[in-house]
Amino acid sequence: MRAKKLRKVIIFVISVLIGLWFLIPVALITLSAFAVSEDYYNPHLIIPRHFTISHFYKLFFTLGAGHATMVSLLVAGVTIALSFILGVPAGYALARYRFKGKDSLKLVILATRMFPLMILAIPLLVIFMKMGISDTVLGIALAHTTMVLPFVILITSSIFAGVDVEFEEAAMIFGLSRAKAFFKVTLPLALPGLAASAIFAFIMSWNEVFVAAILSLQNRTLPAHILSTAMDSPDYFKFTAGFIMAVPALIFIYFARRYLVSMWGISLK
Amino acid sequence: MVKVVLEEVTKRFGKTLAVDKVSLEIEKGEFVVLLGPSGCGKTTLLRCISGLEEVTSGKIFFDDKDVTALPPKDRNISMVFQNYAVWPHLTVRENISFPLRIKKVEESEINRKVRWASELLNISELLDRYPHQLSGAVARAIVVEPSVLLMDEPLSNLDALLRVKMRSEIKKLQEGLKVTTIYVTHDQVEAMTMGDRIAVLRSGRLQQIGTSEEIYHHPANLFVAGFIGSPQMNFIDVRLKRDGEELLITADGLEILIPSKYRALLEESGEDSLIFGIRPEHIYLKEERGTVPFDAEVYFVEALRSDTVVHANASFGKVVVKLPGDVPLKEGEKVRFFINTGRMHLFSKKTEKAFF
Repeated sequence: MRAKKLRKVIIFVISVLIGLWFLIPVALITLSAFAVSEDYYNPHLIIPRHFTISHFYKLFFTLGAGHATMVSLLVAGVTIALSFILGVPAGYALARYRFKGKDSLKLVILATRMFPLMILAIPLLVIFMKMGISDTVLGIALAHTTMVLPFVILITSSIFAGVDVEFEEAAMIFGLSRAKAFFKVTLPLALPGLAASAIFAFIMSWNEVFVAAILSLQNRTLPAHILSTAMDSPDYFKFTAGFIMAVPALIFIYFARRYLVSMWGISLK
Repeated sequence: MVKVVLEEVTKRFGKTLAVDKVSLEIEKGEFVVLLGPSGCGKTTLLRCISGLEEVTSGKIFFDDKDVTALPPKDRNISMVFQNYAVWPHLTVRENISFPLRIKKVEESEINRKVRWASELLNISELLDRYPHQLSGAVARAIVVEPSVLLMDEPLSNLDALLRVKMRSEIKKLQEGLKVTTIYVTHDQVEAMTMGDRIAVLRSGRLQQIGTSEEIYHHPANLFVAGFIGSPQMNFIDVRLKRDGEELLITADGLEILIPSKYRALLEESGEDSLIFGIRPEHIYLKEERGTVPFDAEVYFVEALRSDTVVHANASFGKVVVKLPGDVPLKEGEKVRFFINTGRMHLFSKKTEKAFF
């Protein structure tokens, strides 16, 4: 009995420590992002006394972070769209059909991730310039899609494998063609898993900095923009930039987590 | 409802032959059961009839229409799946009305039919809940009044008590609707109690099709004889012996006269090494007219109370005897049993086909 209680206490302490490990940097960033510059530089203050949103204002409008955030959102959106248009049918095919070379194909898809995307970025820039899509949302989104596609394919294929094929067969018996059965039955049932893939794709694209930095000059994504701008700015701007980077992802996950969790069978209040 | 005709239907998966030239005719409104052990091809055959699998060769006809190339949605069939496949993201009502909606049936008609189907299955109060059950799957299947109703082991996920109840419900339902029904199962009790006729399959081949009476009392081959009936039929290796005009089958401690009507058949075959079959319930403790005795020593007794199943060792080998009621036999006891020769079977060792 005592051993059980002791174990519980130890687990609790470890969980708190791990929680703090993640949360303290987040708290620090948040506090510094909103701190008035005098308080930030004051070595005697850990927690700032005065708060301001002027850093955000400056970053967004004067320094162009607002524009960059827009670009990042658009790039992430286009990336999700492209990777889904290509990846979801591929995932379905891998889940439902048997064909020659299926296993090798899976391996090849995964193997593309072995290739460092940064090395690809410069030749890609040359090609994009020739095509006239360098420094555009489309250009960056295409590069991000290649990065994200293997994950979308493999995640959706396991999601579709988890939807019992009998549901589709029943739809086909009762009057739907295979394609219609996919849209009316499989897709609704696969929604939680697809939401998870979308979150994955969003976060990968949102956080990607190197390729975006190489492929864009004026239309930079937020991480690329911060790389150039905020790094040369006073310190507190870096925290503000970090906060801006973290927030959309948090919001996205907050709304989409209900789908994730329903997939894993826990109920949320 | 339609008549279903299968002409040499064959289905291959790569190198595996799942269904081997099966030909069958199922009459309008008949309830036919496809019976056989796991992997015998019965579910594959059902899926070929439904159109979910394309046949490798052969033809399928509904009445005079060749449906072999038609996709499932154009065959006007319904199917109840082993795991029901009732869509979890739709309510029971939405599930049942789905086939009608796809056929673009008028709304008031849909409501009428859904009410009819759900009342028939006793689930009218559950219509707006989310489904988990067999009854929903069956209601959804009958609501379109299909030409052919297909069922793939629908009772296998139920406990024993529920299974018995649903067996009679489904059968009564089918009798009322008079829809041509093809039902797959590996459970011979289901087959024997529900099927107008039973088609026994093994390794993709049709072994025998007939009523439960025909299958049970006149099995066409060794496999059918051994598969149907519990406990299994006794099989004893015997030799054919001639005694003047008479033919006898003999084994150690056993000698049985062959009825004259079968004499020519056996002599023609030229075989003299055969397999003798007798069901456990056709061996008695008491002598009666037309019985042949043999001696055995009891080595295990199963006291079921409704019957007693006795496992015994005779000089010709092991034998299982099913006696009615509670019989107080003990292990080691030496007993004389009597075989009802009017119920005996003889099989060729070479072809496994039954002589009688």
